Amino acid sequence: MGRTDRGDTEMASSAATAMLDDGSVVNKVFYNEAIVRKFVIAAIVWSIIAFGLGTYLGSELAYPQLNIAPYFNFGRLRPAHPTAAVFGFGGNVLFATSFYIVQRTSRARLFGGRAWADFVFWAYQLQVANMCVSYLLGFSKSQEYAEGEWHLDLWLAVIWLSYMTIFIGTLTRRKEPHIYVANWFFIAYMSMILILHVGRNLCIPISPFRAKSYSLFPGVQDAMIQWWYGHNVVGFFLTAGFLGIMYYFIPKAAGRPVYSYRLSIVHFWSLVFLYVWVGAHHLHFTALPDWTQTLGMAFSIMLWMPSWGGMINGIMTLSGAWDKLRSDPGLRFSVTAVAFYGMSTFEGPLMAVRDVNALSHYTDWTVGHVHSGALGWVMLVSFGALYYLIPALWRKPGMYSTKLMEWHYWLAMTGITLYIFAMWVAGITQGLMWRAYDAHGFLQYSFVESVAAMHPYYVARALGGLFIITGALMMAYNSYRTITTPNESALWAGRRFAGALAAGE
Amino acid sequence: MDSKKGDLIVGIVTGIFGLVGLVLAAYAQDVEIYIFGLSLVGFAVLFIFGLVKRFYDEKDVAHGADGQGGH
Amino acid sequence: MAFSHAIVEKNAFVLIAATFAVLSIGGAVEIIPLFTIHTTVEAVKGVRPYSPLELIGRDIYIREGCYLCHSQQIRSLRDEVERYGHYSLAAESMYDHPFQWGSKRIGPDVARVGGKYSNDWQYAHLKNPQALVPESLMPKFSFLAETKLDYSDIEMKLKVQRLLGTPYTDEDIANARKDIEAQADASVDATALLKRYPKAVEASGKTGSVTEMDALVAYLQVLGTMVNFADTSEEQLKQ
Repeated sequence: MGRTDRGDTEMASSAATAMLDDGSVVNKVFYNEAIVRKFVIAAIVWSIIAFGLGTYLGSELAYPQLNIAPYFNFGRLRPAHPTAAVFGFGGNVLFATSFYIVQRTSRARLFGGRAWADFVFWAYQLQVANMCVSYLLGFSKSQEYAEGEWHLDLWLAVIWLSYMTIFIGTLTRRKEPHIYVANWFFIAYMSMILILHVGRNLCIPISPFRAKSYSLFPGVQDAMIQWWYGHNVVGFFLTAGFLGIMYYFIPKAAGRPVYSYRLSIVHFWSLVFLYVWVGAHHLHFTALPDWTQTLGMAFSIMLWMPSWGGMINGIMTLSGAWDKLRSDPGLRFSVTAVAFYGMSTFEGPLMAVRDVNALSHYTDWTVGHVHSGALGWVMLVSFGALYYLIPALWRKPGMYSTKLMEWHYWLAMTGITLYIFAMWVAGITQGLMWRAYDAHGFLQYSFVESVAAMHPYYVARALGGLFIITGALMMAYNSYRTITTPNESALWAGRRFAGALAAGE
Repeated sequence: MDSKKGDLIVGIVTGIFGLVGLVLAAYAQDVEIYIFGLSLVGFAVLFIFGLVKRFYDEKDVAHGADGQGGH
Repeated sequence: MAFSHAIVEKNAFVLIAATFAVLSIGGAVEIIPLFTIHTTVEAVKGVRPYSPLELIGRDIYIREGCYLCHSQQIRSLRDEVERYGHYSLAAESMYDHPFQWGSKRIGPDVARVGGKYSNDWQYAHLKNPQALVPESLMPKFSFLAETKLDYSDIEMKLKVQRLLGTPYTDEDIANARKDIEAQADASVDATALLKRYPKAVEASGKTGSVTEMDALVAYLQVLGTMVNFADTSEEQLKQ
């Protein structure tokens, strides 16, 4: 084989060939896959850090003795969990898949040269690590999902502009006349994150040599900008970006075209237009003016339709290939993810209705909702894509162990179910206890009674986290064995190496 | 794209970031800026070292020193 | 059909421009009017900028991630008003950069915690919450009482706040350190402080040195106390 053990296709000296999507043959040094491999490994590493932090934080709420002052107190550690999960795990998955997909669907090598892509990789890992460290040290803007102080925001801007230039540059080099639908979603996600990152993080540092800064906006305006940002990080980073993944990997793994092209056009534009409006539903009954709250609620309900349009488009792509759900656990991850996407995009509009929100807001129901999206949709679709990518990128006939994939799937499902059910019950209990009146017309419960009532659910939630991290560790081990087991090994006996690009095509 | 030219440009820009990091660390008035500055310096040094190493490794391969199927 | 979606699909820059345009609408419509509509922030009396010690206390509140478990936003719902007090006004956070409304109540809302408990209770509770509330999930913050307060950057902070629109005067900035000492030490005369920052609560754990906990308690004790609702008319509360 022409590949070196470092797996850097660019350094391959022999002219091995590869089949492209349309069956044409090109030189295999064509695509920059080395960068995709790096992002894949980073994604796995960050997933374990993120799940570990999540499980620990969940345990702190079940057993507050676990707080270690000052660095590992809940308040300092908490922001590190979404940062490692969303930006560490999710971000690396998005970088890996977007760089993989844009090259394949454009039939063009990554723009900007390999050093620039490598720069994006290492600079980004540094960024996520620096963010986590800075929260533990007590430096935070206190804006959820944008806690990093101004210097980290600037460094992320450098990375993001590089990333966008490389991605768009690759698109403009494409040999295909059409831009594939997955790339539309990637463009929407990158563009919105750019707008959000700049808009949310406008602030003035107290000195160029001090990390402390103050947000440009006061009180009510700052609140609206926060939830415009916060909800659209979910909407574009965790939804549009991962829909791009869905639109490529589900058709690929199922061997079927996207169910409806027209539906994907409608899905795209309606999602992009409607999502931006809904952030105000985080501020029902607050000091935000009513007109803004009403807009947020109305658009949240409207958003239900395009979300389900996308879900139908993803799931129906399997028509005629349903049997693959049984034989391909990787595809099962992706399709279950789309089902969770449908579930949480129904739950979201429901919770955005003012009267439901009156009960659910400030409770653990919100936390459960976020995690049914984050674990059920984002995590599962990511692992589906990774289980496809790893054999494709390292030229193996498949994953090392299908049985471990099955275990991972069921552990993840158990963990998610425990988590979501625990938080549903916890949240609704809290909401009801806070508003309960006794026979004399007094509030029935003190606040701390509602805290005490949460204990069993917080234990169940932490247990759910344990299931999830166990599955992820199996995934990491399985990936390690897949990558390091040589092609000649007896383990692959009877499995098909279809040319140089085996499972990749 | 010519990978040598790309390496050079990215290497120089990274070097500039490293210098910014050095200035930040030198004038830092709190621990966060100090750590951030140092991390930029470390990043720049290691990244540029990686570029240089890859350049010479590939030169070795091109000159026929490759016999081990790797490096 | 005159318009074909193929134009967008075949031209990357048209796709990007169209996406940016569509992405901008929602945010612009919801955010820009909040700055231009005069009544977004109610015309109530009493809200003043934080005293220097309160401002530093607020920074400690942010640093320790208190906002992750405590909201500062009482919603206009019957049970919340009965439990926590008058619903929160936009005016009450008009000098908050950034806002601290929060999104989750692992602990209770603290928008009107000011004056609800004594200074002594706050100190004891922050040091060891479970000693006072056995069911509490709150971490211990005893280290705050042992950490000397560093307020060498207070002038920088006040100047940036002023740049952002908080009305600190030159006099306020010049007297910042004196005000901190007056508020954190019960033995120092606080007349000048109280003239600049009415209702400021003197918080002192022990005399001699100013600790981070003094600052945090000073902040907590002013939360929600600035507006006098007895003197506020319905008209003033209109948004």
